Amino acid sequence: MDKNRVSVDQLSLMYLLLLMGGKFLSLPSILASDVGHDSWLAMAFSFMWDGVCLCMLLWAIKINRNAKMDIGAILDKSVSKPVAKVIFVIFFVIFVLRTNILLASTYKMFSVTFDVSTNWIVYLIPVGALAIFAIAKGFNAIARTAQLFFALVVISVIALLVSPLSEVKLTELLPVAEAGWGKVLWTSYFRSFWFSDYIFVYFVLDGIKIKKHVFAPMLTSFAVGALLAITLNAVFVAIFGHFAPDFDMAMSKIGVFSAASTTNGRWDWLTLSIWLVSVFLKMIVFIFCAYKCVEKIVGAHFVKVNWISISVVMLTLLLPLFVTAEDILNTVVKWGLIPFTLVQYVLPLLMPLFTKTAVFKSEATDVSPRKVSAVSAREAQHE
Amino acid sequence: MKISFEKINALWRGQDDFRVRLLNCGIDLKAVCLDTMCDDAKVSDFVLQPLAYVNDVLSIEDVERRLAVGTGVRKPPNLYSAIEDFTNGYTLIFDGEDNCLSVDTRTVVGRSIAEPPTSMVMRGPREGFVEDIKVNLTLLRKRLKTPNLKVVNLTVGKYTNTAVAVCYIEGITQQRIVEDAVQTLESVKVDGVLDSSYLARYLDVNKTWLFRRVGSTEKPDIAVGKMLEGRIAIVVDGSPMVLTLPYLFVEDMQSPGDYYENSSMTTLSRTLRFISVIASVLLPALYVCLQVYNYQIIPLRFLITVLNASEAIPFSPLTEMILVLIVFDILREANLRMPSAVGISLSLVGAIVLGDAAVQAGLLGAPAVMIGALSGIGLFTMPDNTLILSLLRLAVTFIGGVMGLMGVIISTMAIVVYLASMQDYKTPFLAPFAPDIPEDRQDSVKQVPVPRMKRRPKSIPNENSQRRG
Repeated sequence: MDKNRVSVDQLSLMYLLLLMGGKFLSLPSILASDVGHDSWLAMAFSFMWDGVCLCMLLWAIKINRNAKMDIGAILDKSVSKPVAKVIFVIFFVIFVLRTNILLASTYKMFSVTFDVSTNWIVYLIPVGALAIFAIAKGFNAIARTAQLFFALVVISVIALLVSPLSEVKLTELLPVAEAGWGKVLWTSYFRSFWFSDYIFVYFVLDGIKIKKHVFAPMLTSFAVGALLAITLNAVFVAIFGHFAPDFDMAMSKIGVFSAASTTNGRWDWLTLSIWLVSVFLKMIVFIFCAYKCVEKIVGAHFVKVNWISISVVMLTLLLPLFVTAEDILNTVVKWGLIPFTLVQYVLPLLMPLFTKTAVFKSEATDVSPRKVSAVSAREAQHE
Repeated sequence: MKISFEKINALWRGQDDFRVRLLNCGIDLKAVCLDTMCDDAKVSDFVLQPLAYVNDVLSIEDVERRLAVGTGVRKPPNLYSAIEDFTNGYTLIFDGEDNCLSVDTRTVVGRSIAEPPTSMVMRGPREGFVEDIKVNLTLLRKRLKTPNLKVVNLTVGKYTNTAVAVCYIEGITQQRIVEDAVQTLESVKVDGVLDSSYLARYLDVNKTWLFRRVGSTEKPDIAVGKMLEGRIAIVVDGSPMVLTLPYLFVEDMQSPGDYYENSSMTTLSRTLRFISVIASVLLPALYVCLQVYNYQIIPLRFLITVLNASEAIPFSPLTEMILVLIVFDILREANLRMPSAVGISLSLVGAIVLGDAAVQAGLLGAPAVMIGALSGIGLFTMPDNTLILSLLRLAVTFIGGVMGLMGVIISTMAIVVYLASMQDYKTPFLAPFAPDIPEDRQDSVKQVPVPRMKRRPKSIPNENSQRRG
């Protein structure tokens, strides 16, 4: 069994969890500080861009369904090896930074909300150990874990959404686009670093088992995930109004005004804990992708966990020891906005073209080892 | 190696139960057997009597024809085979030219068929496997009256020469699984196989250190049920536990009586078992980390009760809970190894005297004892995995106590990743949930009525997915 093979269904469930994981930590307050109560609009625009890019990526997956080439092979054949390496370096930086931001946010959530204060290294060790363990077991095991937790996480998010509904004042969301459409669009672009969760798909391109449809399950997941994220963001702003920028741990603060929680206990925290599974899954997936980036950069294929590569990834997660999450967002992400946008939003648009080129070149090179493996993969699929 | 009387004689000469009988029935014959392994009546009826009254035997082939009264007559191909037959209770007959014939004169020693103590049912068959492989195969054949029931016979163990039978239904079971299992069993290099659980370790392809990967049952109806789903059954001589392969985690939640009850009741029971198992592993950890870190989650009145009860306890909540769990595990271990009469007294001493005294003395809080007991009872809903679950419970409690909710989440995820990664014989361990196989949910936690189960589980590779025809 190829331990990194996943079905489209598994991929779409995982994508839905990744869409929800991490979107309700500091992002709502950051967006609120940028555009006030129009933050949900900025989020909606970001998701619209995501949707277009996702469609193009899915098209590329369809083109690649028989060739089963990995992202390394596609980029090598279409844009040349040096350019491919540069793209992987940018990807590596994105994954590492996003994991760092997620880690920093959950670290803050645990210390502020759950009263578990510790130092960064002690916090990183269990998370890193879990990620390494999951990478060793393969992406398939991660996808199955997502499948198993899927229902629980979705129920917990819906419960988090429904429980504070009585406190929601929709008038807080009016007037629409008060900050101005231009500013909303700019924020949507400026904060794009937080979106484009589909980028993990690049690193499992060669292992996607396609039975019938690709578009339907992935786009359904995307629609549901985006809808839930936008709604929760709107609920957050509608509850806190002008104070929204001051509440940076959105999810844990949503139930704070519920009178019932004082006597009945903060049950929303239990649902919050279940939702945190999706955040940890997101971190694992991003660490997996960062590890794969190292693999592509050094031009190797690791059958077992390569300790040097995984150590490199883990070392980069010590970044918050030296720079705060805010500094990362305000400096590194700001400087890297253009290269990040290129791989997050331009590369997917070109992926069908690149994949077609790579498939064409691969077929032209007669009896290449990759073609042989692709043919045998096809035969195995038929069997 | 060539078979010869001299070699057999040299190997067993001097043993009290080694019997040699010289016969002349036209040619000189020697019959040898192990008295302790043979049935005297069979030796007399199938070997001695047919040869005692004739004097016109020409060759060993002639003897083979004349011994037609015995059903198990064969010519061992080599010395090892002859020794194997001999040690199993066959009588060997040699002519002057060391041609050999083995006649089945095995004695049946062992208990009679009874209801297995580990799988008692309210409804359904009460027959259980015994230690004798022949009887166990008979129990399978009795239920599968089809020529498609195939048995591959093997011998495993250098000194024990234990007979092993791999049983499957041709046309249902995927041949590759049979081949894999037979290949694995043939490659086993071990001094002895004293129980089927020895072989279970070898059949676990990935050598997992937590959770068993091979099913076992003491009931022939269950074994046949599993074979009808495409699994293979491995019967080992000397063991009442028949192994089944491939194995799914969900099988641990299924009880032998499930298929003889109303499906709604079965669904309810399985749901309770499922909840119990999860609660057993997570409840102590959640109790500790909620009490230590996140008491806000606990409803106010409940929190006041808990705090009042544990106010004077000299230990931290984590130490208190770990103590309760360890005491519970000690009691369980002691109970398992005690004769049943003493076991009841031990349970009483443990539950009433020890628990109550500890609470009265203020060493342990009543809520912790209650949670520990509830969790301990819950473990027994999955009796085959009690020890593993108990170990996981201790680990998760410790991590939860140290790291709070984050520890519980991370350790739970690690367990799930581990379980999700397991796949033997092309069967994912967590099927039909991860990967999700909707068709197979018909007999997972939920059970649909038997008439509606028209297809065999997809998670178990099979050659015929239709249950009928």
